[in-house]
Amino acid sequence: MTEVLFIAYFVLLIATLVIKTPIIKGPWLFLLRAFFPNWKFFHAVGYVPHLYARSAVASTLASGELQWSDWVLIYPRRVRRLSHLVHNPDTNIGLGQQNMVDHFWADLHDLPEGVDPRGLVSYKMMQRLSDQVLRARDVNFTHRQFELRMELDGRSENVDTQVMMTSPVETSTC
Amino acid sequence: MLSATFIQAWIEAGVEAPMLMAIRVTELVFAWSLTIQTLEYLRMGKYTANDAFWSWPLQRADIPNASVRALLDVLFQPRMHQGHLWLRLAAAVTLAVQGASLPLVVFLFVGNLLILIRWRGAFNGGSDFLTLVVLTGLLISQVVGAFGNVQLGWQAGFWYIAIQAITSYFMSGAVKLLRREWRNGSAMTIFLNGAIYGPLSATHPLRNKWLALLGSWGFIVWEILFPLSLLDPRLAAVFCAVAALFHFLVFWFFGLNRFFWAWLCAFPAIIWCSAQFSTRFV
Repeated sequence: MTEVLFIAYFVLLIATLVIKTPIIKGPWLFLLRAFFPNWKFFHAVGYVPHLYARSAVASTLASGELQWSDWVLIYPRRVRRLSHLVHNPDTNIGLGQQNMVDHFWADLHDLPEGVDPRGLVSYKMMQRLSDQVLRARDVNFTHRQFELRMELDGRSENVDTQVMMTSPVETSTC
Repeated sequence: MLSATFIQAWIEAGVEAPMLMAIRVTELVFAWSLTIQTLEYLRMGKYTANDAFWSWPLQRADIPNASVRALLDVLFQPRMHQGHLWLRLAAAVTLAVQGASLPLVVFLFVGNLLILIRWRGAFNGGSDFLTLVVLTGLLISQVVGAFGNVQLGWQAGFWYIAIQAITSYFMSGAVKLLRREWRNGSAMTIFLNGAIYGPLSATHPLRNKWLALLGSWGFIVWEILFPLSLLDPRLAAVFCAVAALFHFLVFWFFGLNRFFWAWLCAFPAIIWCSAQFSTRFV
């Protein structure tokens, strides 16, 4: 009997890979998703969301024109150490930051047509993240804009980039 | 000399009382894993402050229920949250020294849920999921044990952990097998280039198409075959040893140190369940 149950279990797992079922969503399901792991790690290659931001300083010129910096890619890169195996907070916060960018993409993707994304928690977190990174580069900046780009990478180079969303020009929050 | 005696004693204990040995090793490794996670959380206070990126005043809007939100507002005040983390650290040390008990495991379980909610459902993805799996296994063991059958409790807890861990490997391999990019080896290079310690240097061996292909297929086949580990505890030990190497490589390239320790916690359950399964059915 146990052998049958064991085999049935793995047949069921294979079936879940092949048969597409509707995705159940909800705020509590999202927050408690650790109870329902799908164990699909690093499986899909495709467009990956990347956050870009740029800053500006309000000009003292009469025209009031903003002088923009170049777009900055906000993507975590760290230097590897063996000691990180037992203590790695900085890398993990960087990974968490990139997960948030993925969540922002998912939230935008699910947003009904015509709804303002500025109401999203993930949008506000992107504002803070952009401010934090831009402030480290220029303490005096007054305005900021960020952009979510979908990038498709090949083995050695970027293959394609598409802009999914560009924020309005906003004053920095911190 | 001392370490040789110590290792010998552990081996003898493993042969004579395998369940006790599996329980003790699970408790020790899990306590270590929790300690690592908690010490890392304690270093992240500046990222969870009210004016920071992971600020609770921002995130609270995600909580749909007003009364739960009000409760979490209290629990996630920076000082309260730090206090919780220190208690969690003390609980991890207690788990290592005294072993599991129902109040201790309930505290860790509820605390873990709070931490997950604080980080919008997961901080570190898979490692959070497996940490919850092991905690749930411990909770099953303690709840069933509280009703009088301690051995049945641990048996159920170990099977829960083992099935989930084996499923994690099997599913992870199966979904890769269904992907053309994994079958031709290109996915591995692309993911490594995008990793936090990436990109790969221009001369890195894994940029070689054939090595990437070999590596991809090696991991896919090993992951899909993982359920076979239940056929023999020695085979389970080999699968777990390869798994440890695999998780170390994942840490080395992707920085996922928590994955390494989280999955290590499940190995005693896998080996113990394999011994039980093979004795009864093979």
